[in-house]
Amino acid sequence: MSTLSFNNISTEVLSPLNQFEIRDLLSIDALGNLHISITNIGFYLTIGAFFFLVINLLSINYNRLVSNSWSISQESLYATIHSIVTSQINPRNGQIYFPFIYTLFIFILINNLIGMVPYSFASTSHFVVTFALSFTIVLGATILGFQKHGLEFFSLLVPAGCPLALLPLLVLIEFISYLARNISLGLRLAANILSGHMLLHILAGFTYNIMTSGIIFFFLGLIPLAFIIAFSGLELGIAFIQAQVFVVLTSGYIKDALDLH
Amino acid sequence: MIQVAKIIGTGLATTGLIGAGIGIGVVFGSLIIGVSRNPSLKSQLFAYAILGFAFSEATGLFALMMAFLLLYVA
Repeated sequence: MSTLSFNNISTEVLSPLNQFEIRDLLSIDALGNLHISITNIGFYLTIGAFFFLVINLLSINYNRLVSNSWSISQESLYATIHSIVTSQINPRNGQIYFPFIYTLFIFILINNLIGMVPYSFASTSHFVVTFALSFTIVLGATILGFQKHGLEFFSLLVPAGCPLALLPLLVLIEFISYLARNISLGLRLAANILSGHMLLHILAGFTYNIMTSGIIFFFLGLIPLAFIIAFSGLELGIAFIQAQVFVVLTSGYIKDALDLH
Repeated sequence: MIQVAKIIGTGLATTGLIGAGIGIGVVFGSLIIGVSRNPSLKSQLFAYAILGFAFSEATGLFALMMAFLLLYVA
């Protein structure tokens, strides 16, 4: 019984997972069992959409020909994603997929960066969001491959120039690794954001306990505080890198479906 | 008892960070070797190295995430 109560306290007060809790902000019980609600994840996704809308409005610069500094940031973002798409998929035909890849990059980047704001909510740390993205992407790439190649698409599972005796085993391994793309693509993003935020939370809790326990400890606590600031910088870098890695892998999967190795 | 097992399991799960540390070291060590042999490829190699860093760091974060989950969720 005592362990149970201790467990309750540790999960309610000390757990760094509390920041990821999804709550109803606004809910309506309409028509019997229908429960319509705005949760905090939906709220922050909406904020992200508005945020990017505002940046786009600023960078349009009242439809003038000469661009301002906002549009230069947009253009460099455009050029970066464009170079990823053209180098990963295909320099000529790959540009059809550029709007999709660009939207994906902006979505992940904006939500990662909004999650870095203190006391806000990290939408991309939720496996619901990232798995929804990754399963949809891999399924879409598979449909694309079947549409383009028909049943010949299964030759993706056969590595080039392998001996016939090893073939069943290799096809099985390739098939499993193809299915594992679903999981690994979303898990990588969510695990990065989740563990980064949890790490910052735990370090901040330690530092708070040190700094509030005395005047000497207050100055001693400045050392771990510097570590926390450094880790925040690392997390900002990870927010960019993970968005880029997600986009590069998505382009790679689309290329696999289009070109079959 | 469960608390003790949780803490032991968390400590064991963090050993996965050994591999991530080695991986990140290999990635950046290879970057330095590659750049010192051919400095003109620096920007291209750096992009690849960042990608490799993200991959190997992600594996370490999987271990860290398992540790956190064992400690706080399980």
